[in-house]
Amino acid sequence: FGPCQVKGVVLSELWKAFWAVKNTVQAQDNITSIRLLKPEVLPNISDAESCFVAHALLKFYLNVVFKNYYNKRVEFKILKSLSTLANNFILIISKLQPSQENEMFAIKESAHRRFLLFQRAFKQLDIEAALAKAFGEMDILLTWMEKFYHQL
Amino acid sequence: NGVAVLPAPQNLSVHSTNMKHLLTWSPVILPGEMTFYSVEYQGEYESLYTSHVWIPSSSCSPTNGSECDITDDITATVPYNLRVRTTRDSQTSAWSTLEHPFNRNSTVLMPPRMEVTKDGFHLVLELEDLGPQFEFLVVYWRREPGAKEHAKVVRRGGIPVHLETMDAGAAYCVKAQALVKTIGRHSAFSQAKCVEVQGESLPL
Repeated sequence: FGPCQVKGVVLSELWKAFWAVKNTVQAQDNITSIRLLKPEVLPNISDAESCFVAHALLKFYLNVVFKNYYNKRVEFKILKSLSTLANNFILIISKLQPSQENEMFAIKESAHRRFLLFQRAFKQLDIEAALAKAFGEMDILLTWMEKFYHQL
Repeated sequence: NGVAVLPAPQNLSVHSTNMKHLLTWSPVILPGEMTFYSVEYQGEYESLYTSHVWIPSSSCSPTNGSECDITDDITATVPYNLRVRTTRDSQTSAWSTLEHPFNRNSTVLMPPRMEVTKDGFHLVLELEDLGPQFEFLVVYWRREPGAKEHAKVVRRGGIPVHLETMDAGAAYCVKAQALVKTIGRHSAFSQAKCVEVQGESLPL
């Protein structure tokens, strides 16, 4: 992710985990007119900004989306996928060290505005609907993450 | 009410080689019917964010052996807690938990098995298929004083790879090591295997 290097993650494992539950999860998302990861949130992000955006989004998924899903009585198959995604997100976040230098302030602010767009859209929905939509949009997030994934 | 009547399994340990992870424990010997075990795991996320959540192992909940292949359960390079309990009818033992969390980056990496053959004048190599997380560094050379080594990265085992077109009468040798990018480690090189265009495979 731009200046942030992440190693030790097999994106195909994340895709495999998501594909296993994609239909189940996306079927729970009844509000098709709204998208959390809007075009203004992810596309056209500079490399420098991507580290900040990735860090904010993944942290949100860990603290809010996954956590709430774990507390629901989800079926075994979803729990396994959640575990794979959550534990890899923890690994990624532990490697993402967004720069805290002053000249990065503007980039950091821009990234934060993008994240707020996502978070605001999430909060405008009922929590159950928001969780289903956020989890269902995992393919948008993984596709975006894949752009920064280089086969070393 | 069937709680903690049975003895719990002891001596849990994980044996991991080439990213295949096997959890083992000492069997619980009880008279009469067969004893079963249930295995559960918890990744770093679960232990940090939802410590009450344990996930049944894909292949061993239940099982009647005293080992469990947890490879498909360990899907991130983070520490995993593992626990086992004995079950029989409605009775269950207490959980026994692995003393130290297991991280797949501690797996023992062994050199890959390989077949070196010749197809006419073509030097052909087939490496052991160790799964999608493995790549291989292959080094080959013509066996003569001062010979230059050639290196090649092979992305996947289990398929023949053409290395070199050989000269008549010359002998060529090959060695390989396994690479796992997920954990940033590699095995030692295998023992070299040589073939001669007219001769059979000559072990060193």
